[in-house]
Amino acid sequence: MKSNPTYLQEFTKGILKENPVLVTMLGMCPTLGVTAFIVNGMGMGLAAAAVLIASNLVISLLRSFIPPQVRIPCFIVVIATFVTIIEMALKAFQPVLYEALGVFVPLIVVNCIILGRAEAFASKNNPLRSVLDGAGSGIGFTLALLLLSSVREIIGQGTILGPDPDTVIHLFGANFEPMTLFAQPSGAFIALGLLLAGVNAVYKRFNIK
Amino acid sequence: MREILKLSITLTFVGLVSAALLTGVNNITAPIIADRQEAEYREALELYFPEVANFESQRLEDDYFDLIFDSSDRQIGVMATIEQQGYDGTITYNLALDGEGKVVGMLIISHTETPGIGDVITTAEFQEQFIGKSFEDPLTPGEDVDTVSGATISSTAMVTSIRRVVNVVAENFLGYEAVAVDITAVPDGIYQGSAPGLAGPILVEVEVSGGLIIRIDVLDHDETPTYFIESYPLIPELIIAEQSFDVDTKTGATLSAKGIVEAVQAALAAALEANGGGE
Repeated sequence: MKSNPTYLQEFTKGILKENPVLVTMLGMCPTLGVTAFIVNGMGMGLAAAAVLIASNLVISLLRSFIPPQVRIPCFIVVIATFVTIIEMALKAFQPVLYEALGVFVPLIVVNCIILGRAEAFASKNNPLRSVLDGAGSGIGFTLALLLLSSVREIIGQGTILGPDPDTVIHLFGANFEPMTLFAQPSGAFIALGLLLAGVNAVYKRFNIK
Repeated sequence: MREILKLSITLTFVGLVSAALLTGVNNITAPIIADRQEAEYREALELYFPEVANFESQRLEDDYFDLIFDSSDRQIGVMATIEQQGYDGTITYNLALDGEGKVVGMLIISHTETPGIGDVITTAEFQEQFIGKSFEDPLTPGEDVDTVSGATISSTAMVTSIRRVVNVVAENFLGYEAVAVDITAVPDGIYQGSAPGLAGPILVEVEVSGGLIIRIDVLDHDETPTYFIESYPLIPELIIAEQSFDVDTKTGATLSAKGIVEAVQAALAAALEANGGGE
């Protein structure tokens, strides 16, 4: 067996080499659904990252206690618990973001990134490595959403930090007519496709595998 | 057997721990959420009714109404919370009406209309045209309010919904009775009247003979034909059969049905007025 990767590698692989959105193509549903505004993309990424880190830690701690036959239901319960906690916390402390993310918050439960990391990594590795892995994947997910939502909000709305009228900044002045296509679901697919093409070109150029 | 027991106990344990954790968090967050929602609502109330002291909530079918009272317990208005089907999902909004049934403000709470198209309903430009309107106004697209081309369904849904709400509020909470028309007092003759349907005015012709309505024809309307057939000729037949305007308008085209009833009422009310109450 190969020597274990370093802790730093566990952390960085989720951001770059195994970025959940840009490389392994997991969690596409929230990626496409909530990225119309940067704030929403960021909020979704951070909420999923929080769940990911917490569930990776708990599942890693429980990995010898949970019998393999019932591991998936146990993982789901753990993940669902954290998602519900996050949902209640968002509703209490960040109601605007909670409204904006809508159904995608409870759907973090079935986000395949989280179950994927639980099954493929946390159930086989020690808690420290699992937390690092979760943090890496979570940050990778957040960065990917941030990239995509920046493209979509700037082109599709001509703003950043919207839709809250208190913070919104109109980048191009009042006469700018935004390409609303990018604010719509179909625009999400187009923007994601273009983004992936760009990311692949960069990865190829710098030989990241 | 031992194996199954072990699996069950593990699952039960995980579930119990999870439930305990969630109960704890819920106990902390639930009061915060409730407080915040009430504070937000109160803020919205004060925006439209600066002298609000307290309010009383009422539910009427699917709509929620808060009757607003000032510090001397005088009713100063009504805040309606309405869910309306838009182009894509439900539009939830508040409509604030003063003591005379005039719209003083509206606030879209949530909607899922198309960004850049249907969300025009959230703009001040669209909303301002309703300010000051009441149940006495036609609130009909093309007459006193405008829908937005390109977002026809979203904006028409709002106009229709607001028209319905101002009438419901005026009749139920502000004591404005719909004008009662005594059919038997109407002299024989043929009368015309119009009232707003879903998409525009509905023009009807009513024939009265011997104190009875004997014929109702719709002369002109802009309703959707495929739905309009649900109300016409059914509604005129009901009015003639019962000689009453209190007919069941819950058809596939309820707003068209109400429009027909109101148009017939308008025709007969005008006829009575012209004859000075009848000889």
